Amino acid sequence: MVNFTVDQIRAIMDKKANIRNMSVIAHVDHGKSTLTDSLVSKAGIIASSRAGETRFTDTRKDEQERCITIKSTAISLFYELSENDTAFIKQGINGNGFLINLIDSPGHVDFSSEVTAALRVTDGALVVVDCVSGVCVQTETVLRQAIAERIKPVLMMNKMDRALLELQLEPERLYQTFQRIIESVNVIISTYGEEDGGPMGLIFIDPVVGTVGFGSGLHGWAFTLKQFAERFIAKYAAKGNTQLSSEERCKKVEAMMKKLWGDRFFDPETNKFTKTNAGSKNTQLSRTFVHLILDPIYKMFDAIMNFKKEEAATMLEKLEIKLDNEDKDKEGKPLLKAVMRRWLPAGEALLQMIAIHLPSPVTAQRYRCELLYEGPGDDEAAMGIKNCDSNAPLMMYISKMVPTTDKGRFYAFGRVFSGTVSTGLKVRIMGPNYTPGKKEDLYTKQIQRTILMMGRYTEPIEDVPCGNIVGLVGVDQYLIKTGTITTYEQAHNMRVMKFSVSPVVRVAVEAKNPADLPKLVEGLKRLAKSDPMVQCIIEESGEHIVAGAGELHLEICLKDLEEDHACIPLKKSDPVVSYRETVSEESSQMCLSKSPNKHNRLFMKARPFPDGLAEDIEKGDVTPRQELKARARYLVDKYEWDAGEARKIWCFGPDGTGPNLLVDVTKGVQYLNEIKDSVVAGFQWASKEGVLCEENMRAIRYDVHDVSLHTDAIHRGGGQIIPTARRVLYACQLTAEPRLMEPVYLVEIQCPEAVVGGIYGVLNRRRGHVFEECQVMGTPMFIVKAFLPVNESFGFTADLRSNTGGQAFPQCVFDHWQILPGDPKDPTTKPFLVVGEIRKRKGIKEGIPMLDNFLDKM
Amino acid sequence: MTDAFSSNPEAVLQRGVDVTSGRDAPLENVEELYQIKKTCDFINHNGFKKVALQFPDEVLGDSVPIATEIEKSTSAKLFILGDTSYGSCCVDEVAAEHVGADCIVHYGRACLSPTTRLPLMYVFERRPVDLEKCASAFRELYPDTQSHVVVLYDVNYAHIIDDLQALLAPAYPNMVTSTLLLEHCHGYREQPSGHEDPGEPDNRVVRQFGRRCVLKAGLGVRDYDVFFIGPEGAVLRNFMMTWNRCRFSTFQPSTSAGRAESPSINRALMKRYYAIERAKDAGVVGILVGTLGVADYLTIIQQLKETIRRAGKKSYMFAMGKINVAKLANFQEIDVFVLIACPENSLLDSSDFYKPVVTPFEMEVACNRNREWSEDYVTDFRNLLPGGQSHVPLANEQQAGEETDVSLITGALRKQGLWSDEDAVPSEDPSSLVLRNQTLTVAHTNSAASYLAGRSWQGLERKLGETAVVKAVEGRRGIAIAYEGEGKSS
Repeated sequence: MVNFTVDQIRAIMDKKANIRNMSVIAHVDHGKSTLTDSLVSKAGIIASSRAGETRFTDTRKDEQERCITIKSTAISLFYELSENDTAFIKQGINGNGFLINLIDSPGHVDFSSEVTAALRVTDGALVVVDCVSGVCVQTETVLRQAIAERIKPVLMMNKMDRALLELQLEPERLYQTFQRIIESVNVIISTYGEEDGGPMGLIFIDPVVGTVGFGSGLHGWAFTLKQFAERFIAKYAAKGNTQLSSEERCKKVEAMMKKLWGDRFFDPETNKFTKTNAGSKNTQLSRTFVHLILDPIYKMFDAIMNFKKEEAATMLEKLEIKLDNEDKDKEGKPLLKAVMRRWLPAGEALLQMIAIHLPSPVTAQRYRCELLYEGPGDDEAAMGIKNCDSNAPLMMYISKMVPTTDKGRFYAFGRVFSGTVSTGLKVRIMGPNYTPGKKEDLYTKQIQRTILMMGRYTEPIEDVPCGNIVGLVGVDQYLIKTGTITTYEQAHNMRVMKFSVSPVVRVAVEAKNPADLPKLVEGLKRLAKSDPMVQCIIEESGEHIVAGAGELHLEICLKDLEEDHACIPLKKSDPVVSYRETVSEESSQMCLSKSPNKHNRLFMKARPFPDGLAEDIEKGDVTPRQELKARARYLVDKYEWDAGEARKIWCFGPDGTGPNLLVDVTKGVQYLNEIKDSVVAGFQWASKEGVLCEENMRAIRYDVHDVSLHTDAIHRGGGQIIPTARRVLYACQLTAEPRLMEPVYLVEIQCPEAVVGGIYGVLNRRRGHVFEECQVMGTPMFIVKAFLPVNESFGFTADLRSNTGGQAFPQCVFDHWQILPGDPKDPTTKPFLVVGEIRKRKGIKEGIPMLDNFLDKM
Repeated sequence: MTDAFSSNPEAVLQRGVDVTSGRDAPLENVEELYQIKKTCDFINHNGFKKVALQFPDEVLGDSVPIATEIEKSTSAKLFILGDTSYGSCCVDEVAAEHVGADCIVHYGRACLSPTTRLPLMYVFERRPVDLEKCASAFRELYPDTQSHVVVLYDVNYAHIIDDLQALLAPAYPNMVTSTLLLEHCHGYREQPSGHEDPGEPDNRVVRQFGRRCVLKAGLGVRDYDVFFIGPEGAVLRNFMMTWNRCRFSTFQPSTSAGRAESPSINRALMKRYYAIERAKDAGVVGILVGTLGVADYLTIIQQLKETIRRAGKKSYMFAMGKINVAKLANFQEIDVFVLIACPENSLLDSSDFYKPVVTPFEMEVACNRNREWSEDYVTDFRNLLPGGQSHVPLANEQQAGEETDVSLITGALRKQGLWSDEDAVPSEDPSSLVLRNQTLTVAHTNSAASYLAGRSWQGLERKLGETAVVKAVEGRRGIAIAYEGEGKSS
């Protein structure tokens, strides 16, 4: 570390108003990591000459090799704002030194869970958009998540060098491109944001305010309107020879910034700003942004790239750019980089934007608290979070686990929201299943060590007050993926994160040498901890399954498993998807099953959910925990359920939360309350393992129509009812035209027009269908959006590349479940084959069981 | 289908016994088929007065002629035992003791599990085998005459083994035949067979499931292939699970066909591993007593109880005769059952059961951290006991202290070992008052009581004040299964 020490950082950690926790988010390949390097180089951890080449935050070997970020990485920066600039800050501050905790996140959709984890612990987001490609699917996904978490965004228009050098866009067209990108970002913000911005206030981005940066991360230069406005103000101020106070200067700069964007024009003849493009001498005026900002940059590019040495030299002089001796000998691109970096250093512009416009924890936690904390809004913990009070009880959220050099151990990485965490502190560690007052998922342990996490390095630190991001040693044993750490006994959990992707792609792994099974199992457990999204499970068939968000995600997980976690050679199956079992009609008959002793009978029917209800349950709009009346009203209003029935939902399933419902529609049945638990148990069992191929059920509503029970309690116990409930549910499923559902990806493909035909070909072969196709304005690129069954997506990327000469690059993200057309009972259909395969893989009897196994006669 | 606690009387009377008695043994054959003479010698020689004859369901039809035959030659009083409490392969000592018998003669297939209480004799049905075909199947399956092969067989084919060996041994010097361990048949068992006889050279004698074979010096079981004579069934499956590194081939006497068994056993092992994972997840364990005959069953119960306790789980013990889905589902608070039974009945496919049923070995793998899952699979619980081949001492309590583990079923964290109660921190001054924790109520997470607390219906509802007081009225008559005037609807 060159510029700062741990002690300095620790000192500024107490100045909470001067902390900025922010994540860098964007679509894949829009240049997040490269841009982050500019910031890191400014904060002085790596030599500035290597910025743009090192990808400091890509700490893993495979990240460096593949040039793709896989894990989000945190790094702390220290930045001193000049006295003049502090006047721009509209929230409380404490001195002019700023601690910026920055998290670089992956852009590939498969790693969206990492972004989610990063957003949780930050208050602001630097949204990076490639100004050539514009707003892409992942930009939208991450931005949507950010807004849902009440994260304030600022925008960075990246890759301007490409626009200038490759596309050679006219300045006016470039302005239009910028304008359009800003508009699309604001559309997303207004679509997913709260009414009038909610408690955060308006969070639209606007160059005039200074929340939009422009530049090139690769070349290491960037600016906001503020930089140019300041230059002009400085020029005028110099003329007038007056000393401006920082407030006055700030006002002037802000006024100037307003003139530099939109339909504002500059008349060089009169040296005046106007609102129309008609000049004083009937000339077409160009806009201020084009004339005062883009033109000089274009000229500089032109001069240097076309080797107009003298012109360049005069410009350098005019701009008072002094080059190092070694830079002076450079030509072309290297010289351009050196010059631009001197002229408009990216670090400076971005760090200013971050410090000025992103909220401090003090500001942000006030409005984020209600989203973060599950408990009552006025208990000690909630007050501590709202006030960002380092003397309140400790509340910390662990958002992910970072592997240490010590195999099998992890740093718990997270943010202190209230109180102070310190080495040796005895804390309560609460997992996601913890409920206040119970002991489940609760551990009381000492924190062995608190550490600062900085890219590839970690530094021990004595204690860390709220508002900061920190790593903990010695709590990893008691947590999986995420959790809450507190010292407050009555504390509730911090709310769990909602991921935008689901683990729909699965691979079965096996140790090459069967004797290594224990190592494999140990490895799977470590993997389960280390990745926020991956699922490692053993199926009833004994297969060890690793489930991830996509092919790439799985590939990385399996590599980690093989090389880092289990350290044994593995056999991997081909990827498969998980299916869901559903029904498409109401049961064709009333289904009756008798208990083993024949004294109890259950009468039920199944029917499919109305469209959207399953999604509502998965989203959490309809939940088992919801207040009964509110839920009933929702179902009545939105899905036209019968009001009486809507109040008699017995349970959700599988696992008590899944998207299937068991509803009591009986009238006046004796002892019904006694068997409810047993029927519910049977329902949980059946909905977890459907009758077709023991996959989870989805979107099925089961109605209990009638029940006749033995009068003596001993003969209607669980033993009689549970297996019977399962049988009658299976009978209902079989009589209600059962169907399989498969997961479907939303695919977004960017490509030149020439290869669009090739894309259609590949998609058609894979049962995909295009639902949107449009040209990216201002570029020759096309964006094709399509739905593609996940099952057909394996090898899709490679196939697409070979069919388009490598010019199309798809991004796949899980979108919805879709019925696989065809009756699984009919041997000529695809679902029949799929069911057969699954049953074979799971080692269960061939063929769907016949209805008479489950259905009894009166 | 059986009822929860007792069999439906009508059903029992009407139940067609599931017998494949296609071979109506001509009575002339009784003497030869059921070794009457040998039986009589056994009884007379030992001077037994009361003899219990235990028959499996399918031989019950022959029981009377057999008993008549035996009575002719002995003065002993004979009792016929049918409908055994557990598996008919096991010797039902308890039933024999009910009549105060001095010894038991066991007919039909047997798991050869050692017993403790009574002298015992096994009579196996001698099933016919085409010896020539068997030998040629062997030659076909093992073209290499130097192959190391162990020959195993179902008990019904024990009589042909000497002939088979005579036929094959000259060509196959490395062939080993197993013998049935029947030493304890003709008197009290002298030593637990888990121990090696001191007189025999160690390592070479392998005992498994009541069979014994002597291997060549320097070789282990895994160096051998296995040739099994008999139908597919529990015996074969047990051997395949236990000796899972050997290649198996079988000869089916009924079809006289030999074939190499597919190596699907790995798959079966993996399925069992899933059961272990479920057992690790469990908080409440039900110990199912599935035998009252196999020696040392009380010891294993004790050992399991302690193992389970040390793992921080709670155990309950159940004795419920033959188990079925409905019986086990009555105990919803149990997360996993562990079945103590003879090796042949231990491996239960529990996929139809509401909660999984595991073997004692699997429970030990789940609870005893000194025992690692390896390929050695143990179905015979006696091997787990102190002195058994696969005994592993329990981790001591300190060492078995607090540890956590990720469940691969739910993906959640689970506790292992005994967790000291964190809230019961002893205060320095024992008389000082400690503030009562407002949020923590007394509820042990791992007990059936906490399950009850989570149920929506917890038993009789008193409805105080809602029901009118009435004078005593006459109740129902009859037994619970069907009181007079009801239950006829079925």
